[in-house]
Amino acid sequence: MKKFLLFYLCLLVCCATQAIAQNRTVTGTVTAKEDGLPIPGVSVRVKGTTTGAPTDVNGKFSLDAASDATLVFSFIGYTTLEVPVSGRSNIQVSLTASTSQLGEVIVTGALGITRTRNQQSYAAQEVTGEEVNKTRGVNFVDGLQGKVAGLEIRQNNSLGASTNVVLRGYKSIYGNNQALFVIDGVPIDNAMNNAKDLTNSKDQSVGGGGYDYGSPVSDINPDDIENVTVLKGAGATALYGSRGSNGVILITTKKAHKGLGIVVNSSIKVSEVDKSTFPKYQHEYGAGYGQFYSDDSGYFFNFDVNGDGTPDLVTPTTEDASFGAKFDPNLLVYQWDAFDVTSPNYLKATPWVAAKHDPVTFFRKPVSTNQSIIITNGGDNGSFKLGYTKNIENGIIPNSQINKNAFDLGATYNVTPKLTVGGSINFYNTATVGRSGTGYDGTNSDARNVMTNFREWWETNVDIQDLKAAYDRTGKNTTWNYADPEGKNFGAIFWNNPYWVVDHNYESDTRNRYLGNVNVNYKPTTWLNITGRTSLDTYSALREERYDLTSIGVPYYTRGNVLYSETNYDLLANVDKDLSPDFNFKALLGGNIRRDYSSLITATTNGGLALPGLYALTNTKNSLNPPEESQTLRQVNGIFAGTTLTWRKMLTLDATIRRDQSSTLPAANNTYYYPSVSGGFVFSELLKNYTWLSYGKLRASWASVGADAPPLSIQDTYVVNPAINGVAQSAVAHTRNNPDLKPELTHSSEVGLELSFFHNRLGLDATYYNTNTFNEILPVNVSTSTGYDYRYLNAGSVRNRGIELSLTGTPLVTNDFTWRTTVNFTRARSKVTSLFKDANGQEAKNLVLGTFQNGETLNAPLGEAFSIIRGTDYVYDDKGNKVVGSNGQYLVSATSNNDIGNTNPSWTGSINNNFTYKNFNLSFLIDVREGGDVFSSDMAYGLATGLYPETSYINDLGNPVRNTIANGGGFIRPGVTATGEPNTKRVSAVDYSAFGYYRLPMKAFVYDASYVKLREAVIGYTLPQGALGKLGPIKEVTFQLIGTNLWIIHKNMPYSDPEDNVSAGNLQGIQAGAYPTTRSFSFNLKLRF
Amino acid sequence: MKKTAFIFVLATLLSACTKDLTSLNNDPKNPLEVTSASLFTQGQRQMCNVLTSSNVNINVFRLIEQQWQETTYTDESNYDFVTRQIPDEFWREFYALSLVNLERAKKVVPTDVTDPKVQKNDIAIADILEVYDYYYLLTTYGNIPYSQALDINNVFPKFDDAKTVYNDLLARLDADIAALDPSVGSYENGADVFYNGDVVSWQKFANTFKLKMGITIADSDPTKAQTVITSAVAGPGGLFTSNEDNATFKYVASPPNTNPVWVDLVQSGRQDFVAATTVLSYMHADTTSTGAQDPLRDPRLPYYFTTNSDGYYFGGDVGESASPFNAYSKPSGPALDKSSIGKVTNADFPALMLDYAETEFNLAEAAARGWIGGSAATHYNNGILASMDYWGVAQADATAYTLLPNVLYTGGALPVQLQQIALQKYLALYNRGVDAWIETRRLDYPVLTPGPDANSDFPVRFTYPINEQNINEDNYNQASTAIGGDDLTTKLFFDVN
Repeated sequence: MKKFLLFYLCLLVCCATQAIAQNRTVTGTVTAKEDGLPIPGVSVRVKGTTTGAPTDVNGKFSLDAASDATLVFSFIGYTTLEVPVSGRSNIQVSLTASTSQLGEVIVTGALGITRTRNQQSYAAQEVTGEEVNKTRGVNFVDGLQGKVAGLEIRQNNSLGASTNVVLRGYKSIYGNNQALFVIDGVPIDNAMNNAKDLTNSKDQSVGGGGYDYGSPVSDINPDDIENVTVLKGAGATALYGSRGSNGVILITTKKAHKGLGIVVNSSIKVSEVDKSTFPKYQHEYGAGYGQFYSDDSGYFFNFDVNGDGTPDLVTPTTEDASFGAKFDPNLLVYQWDAFDVTSPNYLKATPWVAAKHDPVTFFRKPVSTNQSIIITNGGDNGSFKLGYTKNIENGIIPNSQINKNAFDLGATYNVTPKLTVGGSINFYNTATVGRSGTGYDGTNSDARNVMTNFREWWETNVDIQDLKAAYDRTGKNTTWNYADPEGKNFGAIFWNNPYWVVDHNYESDTRNRYLGNVNVNYKPTTWLNITGRTSLDTYSALREERYDLTSIGVPYYTRGNVLYSETNYDLLANVDKDLSPDFNFKALLGGNIRRDYSSLITATTNGGLALPGLYALTNTKNSLNPPEESQTLRQVNGIFAGTTLTWRKMLTLDATIRRDQSSTLPAANNTYYYPSVSGGFVFSELLKNYTWLSYGKLRASWASVGADAPPLSIQDTYVVNPAINGVAQSAVAHTRNNPDLKPELTHSSEVGLELSFFHNRLGLDATYYNTNTFNEILPVNVSTSTGYDYRYLNAGSVRNRGIELSLTGTPLVTNDFTWRTTVNFTRARSKVTSLFKDANGQEAKNLVLGTFQNGETLNAPLGEAFSIIRGTDYVYDDKGNKVVGSNGQYLVSATSNNDIGNTNPSWTGSINNNFTYKNFNLSFLIDVREGGDVFSSDMAYGLATGLYPETSYINDLGNPVRNTIANGGGFIRPGVTATGEPNTKRVSAVDYSAFGYYRLPMKAFVYDASYVKLREAVIGYTLPQGALGKLGPIKEVTFQLIGTNLWIIHKNMPYSDPEDNVSAGNLQGIQAGAYPTTRSFSFNLKLRF
Repeated sequence: MKKTAFIFVLATLLSACTKDLTSLNNDPKNPLEVTSASLFTQGQRQMCNVLTSSNVNINVFRLIEQQWQETTYTDESNYDFVTRQIPDEFWREFYALSLVNLERAKKVVPTDVTDPKVQKNDIAIADILEVYDYYYLLTTYGNIPYSQALDINNVFPKFDDAKTVYNDLLARLDADIAALDPSVGSYENGADVFYNGDVVSWQKFANTFKLKMGITIADSDPTKAQTVITSAVAGPGGLFTSNEDNATFKYVASPPNTNPVWVDLVQSGRQDFVAATTVLSYMHADTTSTGAQDPLRDPRLPYYFTTNSDGYYFGGDVGESASPFNAYSKPSGPALDKSSIGKVTNADFPALMLDYAETEFNLAEAAARGWIGGSAATHYNNGILASMDYWGVAQADATAYTLLPNVLYTGGALPVQLQQIALQKYLALYNRGVDAWIETRRLDYPVLTPGPDANSDFPVRFTYPINEQNINEDNYNQASTAIGGDDLTTKLFFDVN
């Protein structure tokens, strides 16, 4: 840290020197000619240099310029004006509105090729780096949330979890749906290859226990982002080949402008749990599953603790539920701490009362920091950029931290005026400790996810702070969940002490990533540009998972070494020529070779650890089994060409073609083509008389995109299992590969309308799209009576249709005050239009995507939406009433293939408001999701174990529902009898069979995932220019107070965040061991030199 | 300079283009070919695992048979099998872990075994195990995919009529018996964990299993049953004649090839299962207040269960919670109770897949029905003695047990005789829940009453896997109709009363 300060100081000195070399200060005001109001945000530049400044909210500007310089004033929608300084120190300027200028805005398209908005004929939405990085989080992708229509971002709430980034819905049933990220032309895959569980056979992504190792894109340094352009449809992305079929997110990093520029950001963040996403517990009843233990009441264990010869009441410590005795402060019970020799309550009976501190106090309020500096310099000979970001993110769970160091170095050198060479190298070092275990993780051996414990299996009499104190005192796995207190077995039976879990049973991982490229750009004439580039993205990671001795189950240490690399070789020639004043011709021709390599080697101890706390393979209890290895290679060779013809800046026709050849497909089918054609018509060019219409464009596009298979899916191999007594065992693999796979195809079309009114005070961008994906390559879940679990097939077609609306407006502008607003709206529908047929022509009716803990499945049924939840349902009569059996319990369907939920929202939307008053700025983002279902494993179990207030209420007779029926307790399940009469049979709620999974179909635990969220709010203050003068070289000082995930304004899902999911990937709509949402407040200081 | 740069880039592009792309897609870490023996071993082990396991997600038949009960989570004891998708996993383990590997072994044998006679033996033995696998699938679910099973090109296999399949299995078994040639060997060097490739042992195994298959259809198809049984008894090599002939799978003491019961009950550290009152009462485990034992007590008790913390046998009531754990008897073995002389929870306790005791009980039933000669009583006593011998009971104690009034073979009407045989067979089939379940359904004795809060009547089959419902829907619906409804209470072909 000290060194860092010193570094800052040096920079300050440098800047000061720089400042002295400048000339006089010119100030002034820019107004609009038609109404005389000041225009904020006008770019004021000294002609021929990169020196410049925007006007402030009052239209005022201030910059240094030579007395003979010329100032250039430009602003979207206004005619650019050049004004000589002519020795003046104050200049008043008024700008004339122009209707055509908006079309001249430069936008970035596929392969980073820029063009004007008039020439763009597909949907693209831009977000500035500042906007993306507003929240100063560890993963910049979160900053895109709610800011782009049609972009869905979902993740598990655990620290560092993978982020699902999906544009325009799920097109691929099993495969990768993640948008492709491209940083300055270098592709970064966000495929979910990281969400693998190292130790369990059940994949973490289908709700099994395990760790989520995060998305590779989270490495990208948010402070280095200049802007983000989201290309949504295949029309825009066909040139990227198959990986572009899910849309492309183009990231342009900061570029050096002329002269030295330094930006320093320093922020500090405090986080906390949003309690509305955490369970509320009932406080009336304590430990137990019912009334069947050994004492007279049936609620307690009964044996002599204090040695007086008479049996004592003891908490049923083995019972991870709260269906036990009613709390009574006068009742003294030997609780778990009565058996802990270090406890003040040792051998003491204590009052039977609800815990003072429930598990929400397990979470801490961590402080995180983020410091960054970026230095740029540009001149006639080239440019240079160096950035460093240090981000320490502490999680709400104790012992969880991500420590990230990001270095960005980039340089260009103009060898000759026509030849430029450049290169960049980014190094990211990420060290993480304590990613949280996800999914249902408890009953077997691991119990890594403490949320499974808190949400599903808990005793409400256990004070979590007492557990903390016990762990702090002993350093041991002292648990409330003793296996057998009477038999003096004080080991954990199902649940470890959660403080022990985070300290002893944790993972850690480090990832060193290098991302770089070398490029050559040659511009032989003004209209031809040739670029060659080699880029490499490679990382190696070490992942270690620990599970210490004395924890329940089998202790282990597992390590996995991951090596990944992607190399791209590109050659691209670009033509941009005005053939006549009315006719612009653009063309490109290029080739790309991509090579992916990945390898994983995982080794784990066998049958336990020998010594406690030693996490090494040598510490294995039995001799080590061979490590598991996998290694894959993929190469895709592509060539492509494209042309754009523009007539009178009004009509644009764009066509591209790409040919790919992939190593992952059978040689006979490994070549495929991607044509695309699109057109744009800027009709406002014909309507110049209508001054209220600033801009109007109609666009349409069609594209076809192919995709290859995952590596190693065309040839069958065997699996070698550990030998038994030296005898080899090998098995047929569970997935049958397919040597006849064909490439997958996506046809997509879209039409769009862009409108802008009243000098751009109001703008609308509307898109309708239709995407059909054919011959989807899937490992189809097959009847296991075939001897296999999966078979690779070209198995299905999915149609996605949707509407995306983006409305931007400036409802209010006065001298001091501006209000800008952006509304995004997305409505998307998917449908499985066809599935594969077998040899007899029988068509599959459904694909099972994943099977989860309680027998619920996610499905893609033929003719229905992608991702339907199926499971057991109620039995209904003709009128749709739930039928109740003679015992008063609901009848439950024998079958489990009933549709019980649809995970797709009916629409999503967001409103982003930005208010500026003088030097203050306030912005906030509200995010809305309407509809869509989520299945909660947490509720299915937590209601059964009696944790929630829903299991302890005053019934219709005015008595506690948990009373026996004889004592006026119990309740009547709403429904009808077999004969259609209303049910009047009262059922008991004295034990765990009443409210949870045990007596109810899975349908009972499907919840509406709608929400309205205040996702972020930012208050900023920029020091006025006047005050800046005293600060020497500092050109800008901004303070920001940032709140993230501030408030879930509305939701229907109890006790959790409806957005939370088991993991990233295609399987969405299931919660198991859900983490609470982290709310955070940051303070950021930005200095620009 | 610039030219050099372009030539460099261009050259790189071109050189990469010329590579043979498809060869990059070869898997360097997994083999394209393996030996038939290694596949056979895998298929054999998986078969033993699924039938031996006590994993609550796979094999819950000890609970159904009221040998064991659950301590806290009583869902399965009360016949909720769907939540854990147990029918899916049990089904899958046979088809996708055992059968597929045995079937593949048969295909690979001609390519890696040189002697045609040995080839024939290898294929016949793998086929016998396939018959064995299918037997359990049929008796668990009823109609199952068979004629179209194990064919990846048919991913919607139809379900075949159970009785038809059963008869086909018997025919296959006959063909296999005929194919076995004891003049040469079979899977050697330990690949055959049962018999190390001893063909005579396999002849005995096949005949003995055929006898079992005959007895299984004694009620549903007595004519066929009689034919099968008489032919099995006369089969080449004969039947099992002592515990030496038992088919056992020798597990090893350290993971991963350990007995799955050890994994579930010991290694996991969980405390899920205790003895059930039902089996304890049939074993007369009672201890009176004076400490005196019931004189009718079964000497196998200490080999089956531990005593509780107070030193006596105490079981969990059917379907009810049984907590705290230490108040109850547990499956035997020093791992759970140092003083226990049983071995059920030992890591290397061998799986018992077919044994001499059940063979004698089968012969007793055949004799009682008059289908074979000999004395039912002798076979009955032999069965009891064989079981006692297997578990380690001293011969004198075993003999004394056969003379107890509640054990002594009384003869009399066939139903009376069958009940006596059924009870002793039930006791002998301890720790083999699947086999015990077949017998209690077929013989309807002992009567196993569901717990007071059970989700259904006593289950007489498994419902079909959720996976079949979701992805093989038409065939599933047909099968469901054909058997009379996909319910736990739909009686199967062999269970006529």
